[in-house]
Amino acid sequence: MNGNAISNNANPQPPPRTQGGGEDFRAVNYETGRKRVPLQTRVLDGLTMVAAFLWLLPLIFSILMSLRPSAEPISVGNIFFGSSLTMDNYQRALLVSAWGAHYVTTLIFVLGTLAVQLVTITMAGYAFARMQFWGRGVLLTVLLLQLMIPPGVLLVQNFATIRELDLYDTRWALMLPYWSSAFGTLLLRQAFREVPYELEEAARIDGASLWRILFNIYVPLSIPSYVAFALVSISSHWNELLWPLVITRTEEMRPLTVGLNKLFNTSDTGADYGLLMAGTLMVIAPLFVLFLVFQRRFIESFASSGIK
Amino acid sequence: MAAVSAAPTRKQVSWRTRILPYLLILPSLLGVLTFTLLPATRTLIDSTFKPPRIASGEATFVGLQNYADLFSNEHYLGSRFTRILGNTLIFGFGTVGISVPLGLALALLLNRRIRGRGFWRFSFFYPALLPLIGAASIWAFMFSSTVGLINTVLRSLGHPGVDWLGNPDQVLLSILFVDVWKQAGYHMIFFLAGLQNIPADVYEAAELDGASGRQQLVYVTLPLLRRTVLFVLVVALTFAFQTVEQLGALGQGNPGDRGNLLLYFIFQNIGERRNWGYTNAMSVMLALILLVFTITNFVVLERRRGDER
Repeated sequence: MNGNAISNNANPQPPPRTQGGGEDFRAVNYETGRKRVPLQTRVLDGLTMVAAFLWLLPLIFSILMSLRPSAEPISVGNIFFGSSLTMDNYQRALLVSAWGAHYVTTLIFVLGTLAVQLVTITMAGYAFARMQFWGRGVLLTVLLLQLMIPPGVLLVQNFATIRELDLYDTRWALMLPYWSSAFGTLLLRQAFREVPYELEEAARIDGASLWRILFNIYVPLSIPSYVAFALVSISSHWNELLWPLVITRTEEMRPLTVGLNKLFNTSDTGADYGLLMAGTLMVIAPLFVLFLVFQRRFIESFASSGIK
Repeated sequence: MAAVSAAPTRKQVSWRTRILPYLLILPSLLGVLTFTLLPATRTLIDSTFKPPRIASGEATFVGLQNYADLFSNEHYLGSRFTRILGNTLIFGFGTVGISVPLGLALALLLNRRIRGRGFWRFSFFYPALLPLIGAASIWAFMFSSTVGLINTVLRSLGHPGVDWLGNPDQVLLSILFVDVWKQAGYHMIFFLAGLQNIPADVYEAAELDGASGRQQLVYVTLPLLRRTVLFVLVVALTFAFQTVEQLGALGQGNPGDRGNLLLYFIFQNIGERRNWGYTNAMSVMLALILLVFTITNFVVLERRRGDER
């Protein structure tokens, strides 16, 4: 499709024109058969790499810091490595909090929330996309209030509600406020609207029930939106701190971020950054893996789901 | 056969058809009523009351007095509130004003053909995957005056170093900087998606007309990205005004509220019973600011959908 397609000089044809907004500036030099890289491309490539390096610096140095002996903070002329590499910080970080329990709680919180959300947003998404009913506009606006009023503002009043429901310090309390999602409903409403209505009509004539229509037509055709929603939901709840901090008390009920917060408070003296970085890296590692696995899907699904 | 067994009376059909949509949206609606509408109403009501002096007493209705107090310089919270509100506006518009153009620039850089594109994308996007408290603790280390990376490097270059979180004139900038670092890559993802949605034949046509790369950027790419830009701006503003968890690790609002933000100030006062009316009034004001952005967002989204028809 572009200049790269012709890499050997035996091909006498001129290179095809580049497409896609000048994505490829490289052209083939016919005499040498080598690719000629324009200066502009080199400059932009260089700029990208320098910027990426700056962005990565905090991560690189938090990893280095976590592997340094805690008695040796970085100093002028000695910023990369200490006298030895050590896992000591990780071992100490493990002792600060009940990480196993935190991991379990985070997984239950994140996946439990997502599972229920998938059901509620599918149902509501379909109703708002394809059904006519009295008060549809008003009810959609009510649902959208969730997007308009930030959860942070409602924290204390929601705390009161959870206490009234007698759910304080349970995993139910963590999940409950997130079981309905206006964001997800909007996403699926749009995806469902793009499903050809003829498919549903045909299925109805064949006597298919609503559930069959949903699961055999709408859901499979909207997978990119589901993936996009799942990734957004998982990453936001994995990182949640304030709500779990307020709504739970015992260690087993608290997710990873609260453990991390505790780490920060215990090393409040300020100097023990090795411990802090080790703990931080333990908490963020799984999300990184998830992103690396889904990276392509992540970007593609954002593109096709309409949250452009 | 199917027609016979599946043909209920007209009355049954209309009853089921009528009730079904409500059943489908009921779970979602219940959630919003319990965890958004109810607490929002309570916040609004509580913002017009003064809490009782003693725990068993009755709250007194004061109308808009709580709001007036917050904007009065004589009041013990008033002077702090106006400063923090100012910080919040600077922080919100400042981070968005920098991180959104930066995200667009990064997307343009990475939408080109470049070796190892996935890796470069990851290096800009990974901060968005971090929990705020995680990002903040990394930057607490970067910013530390004594053992921090930045000051150590500055000192090795002969510069005395900067008090990133302790200097009243610096602290807000430092917090803003962390947010730009964290958010730019997130915006980049949206812009990349927007760029990939621009059909290739538009560029082919521009090229046939002899448009240079720069002209294509200015006259084709940017105008076609207009709605993505608007959308990202609104999302970014909404997010920036709610960003507070990192302050726990980055100065906790100090020194002297110069590094404080509205939502964090609300949290700081949440346990104070005598300030209950004020925290609720501040919550209402924050909600109103955010409401402006989200309504804009919705209008933009709907209009774009309308255009696609």
